[in-house]
Amino acid sequence: MPGALDYLILVPTLRCNLACSYCQVSRAAIDARGHDWSSATLAGVEALVGGLTGPEVKIEFQGGEPTLRPDLIRAVIDAVPAEIQAQFIICTNLQTLNDEAMALFDRDDVQISTSLDGPLAVHSRQRQVDAGEAKGFHANLRTLLARYGPGKISALPTINPLSPPDPEQLIDSFAELGLDSIYLRPINYQGFARKRHPASRVNGDQWLAYHAAFVRRLIARNWIDRSRVLEESYFSLLLRRIFRPGEDRHVDLRNPNPIGRDYIVVDHDGCVYPTDEARMLTRAGIIDLSIGDIHAGWDTPERAALEAAATNDGDPACEACAYQPYCGRDIIDDIARYGRIDLPREETDFCRRHLYLFDLAFELIHSDDPAVQYSLRRWLGLAGETGALAAP
Amino acid sequence: MIPLVLNAESDAEAPFVTRLASRRSADPRESFCLSSTPTQSLWCGMEGLFTLAHPMDALTGDVVLVDPSARRAERLLRAGSPHNSLLVTEQCDQLCVMCSQPPKKTHRDRFEHFETACRLAEQGSVIGITGGEPTLHMGPLLAMIERLLADRPDLGFHILSNGQHFDAANTARLAGRLRTNIVWGIPLYAADAPLHDHIVGKPGAFERLIASFAHLLVAGARIELRTVMLEDNLDALAGLARFVAHNLPHIEQWSLMGLENIGFARRRWDALHVDLRARFAPVGNALDQASLYGVPVRLFNIPLCHIPPEFRDYAVASISDWKQRFAPACEGCAARANCAGFFEWHPDHLVEKVVPL
Repeated sequence: MPGALDYLILVPTLRCNLACSYCQVSRAAIDARGHDWSSATLAGVEALVGGLTGPEVKIEFQGGEPTLRPDLIRAVIDAVPAEIQAQFIICTNLQTLNDEAMALFDRDDVQISTSLDGPLAVHSRQRQVDAGEAKGFHANLRTLLARYGPGKISALPTINPLSPPDPEQLIDSFAELGLDSIYLRPINYQGFARKRHPASRVNGDQWLAYHAAFVRRLIARNWIDRSRVLEESYFSLLLRRIFRPGEDRHVDLRNPNPIGRDYIVVDHDGCVYPTDEARMLTRAGIIDLSIGDIHAGWDTPERAALEAAATNDGDPACEACAYQPYCGRDIIDDIARYGRIDLPREETDFCRRHLYLFDLAFELIHSDDPAVQYSLRRWLGLAGETGALAAP
Repeated sequence: MIPLVLNAESDAEAPFVTRLASRRSADPRESFCLSSTPTQSLWCGMEGLFTLAHPMDALTGDVVLVDPSARRAERLLRAGSPHNSLLVTEQCDQLCVMCSQPPKKTHRDRFEHFETACRLAEQGSVIGITGGEPTLHMGPLLAMIERLLADRPDLGFHILSNGQHFDAANTARLAGRLRTNIVWGIPLYAADAPLHDHIVGKPGAFERLIASFAHLLVAGARIELRTVMLEDNLDALAGLARFVAHNLPHIEQWSLMGLENIGFARRRWDALHVDLRARFAPVGNALDQASLYGVPVRLFNIPLCHIPPEFRDYAVASISDWKQRFAPACEGCAARANCAGFFEWHPDHLVEKVVPL
């Protein structure tokens, strides 16, 4: 069961200097008013963070573009009690770099997370920026990589499943920057994406095949070039969940999936959500999934109602599924796609996607191709180069 | 080697514990130094004057047990050392083939002195408790630690035990105040009962140990599993890794340990010792199997240059300062600060077999 609150997503501002075609959060214009934390909301967040009991906490700043308000980020960092081991992640589009943002990035306890959609043309098309702006982002990314090395920076591609980039090109665009982990993320059926990318409601077979082909390309490349290990982060997570019961800190894939306990999202207006996706659905006007607010708290009937359903235990399809122990339950994803959580599980995108990926995982675990075993062992963090994973 | 026992002279009537302070203090439990030469220091405390055959500078801050009739002093808690341990008893009900501290029949109860010493320990110390088998005296041992933790909740204890004496009657007590502040270091040598029993020299030991684990797990006790790598169990290590993953997943750490050339191991060295430079594969396999299933596993007492590079992250610079030794060739090694080195009593001809990194 989950412990105390130790993972927060904070949205100090909803304003952003970009207008990406698939924006999941219905961002506000750069000069809009009333989309930043009020002083009362900041005080509430500071009190929350100041009262954490530790020993560790991860605080992620989302937006909007959080670097538009470095003062709020600093205030939160300063509010964490000294005895708590804190890690901060600033999720930024890296469209602009200024001194205040750099001063934050320079801290040892700050990680940078950004989006890199692949080759320049794809990045530019999806982010609705001109080629010059896309180049600006690339230059900023390179500047930071040169300054800190790849360990401090993670980049996530957002991919249109109907026209995904060539796997080889996408891998190259990460590899040439020294980034080894690629989190393959299809456009989320949230926010602006609902209107502009209606097909993203269901990730069809095409996307699943793409994911599998991508993993196989990584295996081939790792085998040819042993000097580095490239991975698809979500597939690595599935592998770890297969072998390591209790690996439950990935909040999108765990069972049960407690709501509003070890993990919350605090929006720009002080509303508290169980997940970032729940915030997006609410912002898009689909359904109000807030569970409370920073002042009154979130131990509410809404939280309890969501949590009661956030398990795959007792579901007839899940109980009959060989992958149940490794799988999870994401009711927000079901609500986003279908407006309900009671569809037969095997008809949901979440189930189909995970069935497919677990099938792939077990096929690879039992493969006797040394190239496959080599990559799987690296992704699981094993030191020895050889040896089969499947039990003898 | 750092000396742990010193020649001492005192007119006190009975053994006493005191902390050696740098200057006179109001604390009656402290003694202070009157004079010091490179070979001897003269101290003054509640029990009068006493001399220790060691200079003041090296002793300041230590907690010592002075035994006037034996004319010696034990440095129970050395200042600043993370490797202090208290030998509770020399009795044991196992007879391990490689025992580094062969058991004796008689027991001298020194809990009172140990308790006094622990109260003088530095803030946040972790104090080792060894034997013999400490849990042969389970009642006094747990009572002492309970009393200490009531006043010194900052202290931690690491107790080496053969795990033959835990039962349902202990669980409530172990789950109480003791739980978070004690780590039990318990050996398990094989997943195969006859092999484990052979190594510990006691029929039925494996079965009793597994029963003890059940009681300890019910109590939520913190467990460090310890396995000395021997010729006998080398090829059984990967199987043991799977056994641990499947049956004891809640342990805090599994420690795979190199053999010490002392005690029984000294005369059986050739039969027991494994040269990991030539035969690391079974160990690597065990490390991989444990890691695959998420068992936190570490490698102790093995110099880094004896471990293949991809496995060196598992190694701990584990050998206690007072019994640690390096080869002359280690002088030029870049990894020396992170290396276990060798035990002081490691065979000389093997200590030379190093490759500076």
